Amino acid sequence: MTAPVLEVEDLRVDLRTPRGTAHVVNGLSYTVGAGETVAVVGESGSGKSVSVLALLGLLPARTATVTGRALLDGEDLLTMSPERLRQVRGPGVGMVFQDPMTSLNPVLTVGRQLTEGLRAHGSLSKAAARARAVELLGEVGLPDPGRAVDRYPHELSGGMRQRVVIAIALSNSPSLLIADEATTALDVTVQAQILDLVEGLQTEHGTGVVWITHDLGVVAGIADRVLVMYGGRCVEDGTVDDVLERPVHPYTRGLLGALPDLATDDEADLATIPGTPPPPTDLPAGCVFWPRCPVRGDARCETEQPPLAVVAAGTGGLPHRAATWCAEGEAS
Amino acid sequence: MSVLVFSLIHLVRGDPIRLALGTRFSQETYDALRERSGLDLPLVQQYVTWAGRAVTGDLGVSFRSGDTVTSLIAERLPATLTLAVAALLVALVIALPLGMLSALHPRSFVDRLATVVSQFGISVPDFWLSIMLILVFAGTLGVLPSGGYVALTEDPLGWLQRLVLPAVATGVVSGSVITRFVRSSMLEALGSDHVRTAQAKGVPTRQVLTWHVLRNALLPLVTVTGVQLAYLLSGVVVVEIVFSWPGLGQLAYQAVRDRDFPVLQGAVLLFALVFLVINLLVDLLYSRIDPRIARR
Amino acid sequence: MTQLPTPGATPAAPPPSEPLPTAAPPRPRWRETLGLLARNPTAAVSAVVLVLIVLMAVFDETLAPDGPNDQDPSRQLQPPSWSHPFGTDEFGRDILSRVVLGAATSLRVGFLSVAFALVVGTLIGLLAGYYGRWVDDTLMRLMDVLFAFPAVLLAIAIVAIRGAGPANAILAIGIVYVPIFARVTRASVLGVREEVYVRASRSVGASDWRLITRHVLPNAAPPIIVQTSISLAFAVLAEAALSFLGLGPRRPNPSWGLMLADGRGFIDQAWWYTVFPGLAIVVTVLCFNLLGDGLRDVLDPRQRTLMAGGGR
Repeated sequence: MTAPVLEVEDLRVDLRTPRGTAHVVNGLSYTVGAGETVAVVGESGSGKSVSVLALLGLLPARTATVTGRALLDGEDLLTMSPERLRQVRGPGVGMVFQDPMTSLNPVLTVGRQLTEGLRAHGSLSKAAARARAVELLGEVGLPDPGRAVDRYPHELSGGMRQRVVIAIALSNSPSLLIADEATTALDVTVQAQILDLVEGLQTEHGTGVVWITHDLGVVAGIADRVLVMYGGRCVEDGTVDDVLERPVHPYTRGLLGALPDLATDDEADLATIPGTPPPPTDLPAGCVFWPRCPVRGDARCETEQPPLAVVAAGTGGLPHRAATWCAEGEAS
Repeated sequence: MSVLVFSLIHLVRGDPIRLALGTRFSQETYDALRERSGLDLPLVQQYVTWAGRAVTGDLGVSFRSGDTVTSLIAERLPATLTLAVAALLVALVIALPLGMLSALHPRSFVDRLATVVSQFGISVPDFWLSIMLILVFAGTLGVLPSGGYVALTEDPLGWLQRLVLPAVATGVVSGSVITRFVRSSMLEALGSDHVRTAQAKGVPTRQVLTWHVLRNALLPLVTVTGVQLAYLLSGVVVVEIVFSWPGLGQLAYQAVRDRDFPVLQGAVLLFALVFLVINLLVDLLYSRIDPRIARR
Repeated sequence: MTQLPTPGATPAAPPPSEPLPTAAPPRPRWRETLGLLARNPTAAVSAVVLVLIVLMAVFDETLAPDGPNDQDPSRQLQPPSWSHPFGTDEFGRDILSRVVLGAATSLRVGFLSVAFALVVGTLIGLLAGYYGRWVDDTLMRLMDVLFAFPAVLLAIAIVAIRGAGPANAILAIGIVYVPIFARVTRASVLGVREEVYVRASRSVGASDWRLITRHVLPNAAPPIIVQTSISLAFAVLAEAALSFLGLGPRRPNPSWGLMLADGRGFIDQAWWYTVFPGLAIVVTVLCFNLLGDGLRDVLDPRQRTLMAGGGR
């Protein structure tokens, strides 16, 4: 493996809410290599989105406490000065958000929103920035980019808007791209086009990608590695083959079992395991999953948090890890 | 709209001519005035005549002074316009900084102050505020005149001195409404997804605030400001009376007291018209500055 | 404030034999609402002050230290003192007593005019929202026209036409606020009309009346209650403006607006004459506004009611 682009170590995020402190992310660690795609999966409320917003300092400073380390090309994002962080947003990390309907400013043209990012990080002239914007729009597959550059977001379809958002995220050739449910709001055909687009751009530029989703169909299609999140923790990680083919954690197995057919139903939702995730203000004492767990095969389930441990050598030289007391003999 | 104005005015109890003339008058004078005002005709015909003339700018003749209503209104309109615009300026000068600051620092001292001030501003009767201002600035401090009006061309300083207190008294109320609006509109813009996108692409904070927060938050302000101007134009009635400001409000009030119906009718119609025109202008302006509407 | 009529005696539809999936909308839980309101200190204090003002208005004759119309030439225009905390007016009448009695006038006009607007406006909103089509179009166009008129001016015009006096002041202020209630109610009705439980009740043959009273009204109630509180604030203000112009209650009965109009003449000699009645107006209006805001936070988090100040 090449040197990792992103190295997250023991990331913790607490949010102050009216109902008490919410422990949203509880000691998350992972790495993303150059050109590699890591999928972060989990139900809504598992802390996936917050964990990436925290990396870029996009959580409200008044209510959020972030600890741990997050090295981007060796530099810690969490301790950076605000000005340095601003410089990193864009050329260091590009981000694509879930809802293309709201993530663009409705009263500025597409071109304006693209050049703004370009000019914030370089000494491009207005004309040069505009030319580059047209080029980028062409790259993400917008038809007639020369005219699209002067359009307002509401004049474009959802898929086209998401392409614009991706163009903005990639405009400064970041070493890391974070996509937060980037295709969830789009219909299936558009979704496939966007996935192809990102994969193509990724091989071209060698960008590392963190792809957050609750859609296992997307994971199978795009990811090299998978990280399953539950209750703000990583409960299982490994290569796509290991995790999807030979899941160890009861939660992952529930997810996969809950998925009717990977090939046909891309929209399948994960929340079909009985019960709901624990509220982050009130996490269980033992294994985060035990209240919903169908196995509960160990005395420590209710009292002790299982560590993330290697359960198999894994394929592709990567260990397959899971945080559960119920792994032995259960792994298929 | 004009039908409503007309029928409203004609739900009168009593005979306007009789009221206008007082107790001592001859039958001939009565009949002459009645005929001249067209009040001997059936109501529908009266309306058609009135509306037909109103379109051409002829609103009839005052029962009291015998002047044409149009000339009376034209004489008073500048004073009311001046006051309303000045009040709106006062309102915006208060509301914009206060609203923005409190949205940028929610729960801070400025925010609490703005909330308290605007809450009071909405609850204070403007005419009482006028009296209090007179009490303090004209009475105790004696720095400003307590009322009256001089033309700007005659005495610019005196004009300004007489404008300040009524403008503040009316502006504070509108300012409070606008402050609350600016605050909530800014907070909404601050929390929107596109602001996060702008931050995520590394745009400097100042630029995010101007282009992605302020610009979006202030667009709807155009509408609110227009509505406030319309309200100010009609809402200065009582303040005009307190400050003896010779505007339309005073004219309308005098017409009410005297039961001078052609004047009242004309004034109410004008206010309604101004209201409509301002709303129309606001819509037009809005469609020019908001691309979402402009391109439709 | 809005006791909802229950269709007690005339069950319109035979009760369905089995519990149908017509789960009623979450009723506003009154006890919980009160609890939440109590935790909002501003709203709670406002409510308490308002109760005191209402009590003051109800027991005005007993509470007022002096007869409000007791004239005493020996004590004309006296500044505040222990025997006359708010001072006296040009006839030597005790201003505190007159402020206490003024509360009765102001609140009576305020409550009655809002009650009028509430009943008429809610009815219009219900009809428009529930029956839709041309009923909706006709009624709401009419409301738009009425709403387009500047509030104060409309009230003045109505009083001017019908003659000065408390009854006409009530009617005038009431008419001005009808469109607001109509709009708020209509919006709530539209929101609830297509909900599953309403359609389900309709499919089992519930009558319009039953649907409106059992499902639509309870759901529309929260924004209407909030609007009532805010409208009371403006009704008190409007009453003061009308009486200030001499278009409300007649002398010598005290009314806050009237006192301000009289006191204006003595502004150089007696500041207390205008300050105290004005403060009474401000406190009352402020409390209604704050209570309205508090109620809105608790009852109507989606902010369906118009912004305060929308009617000015």
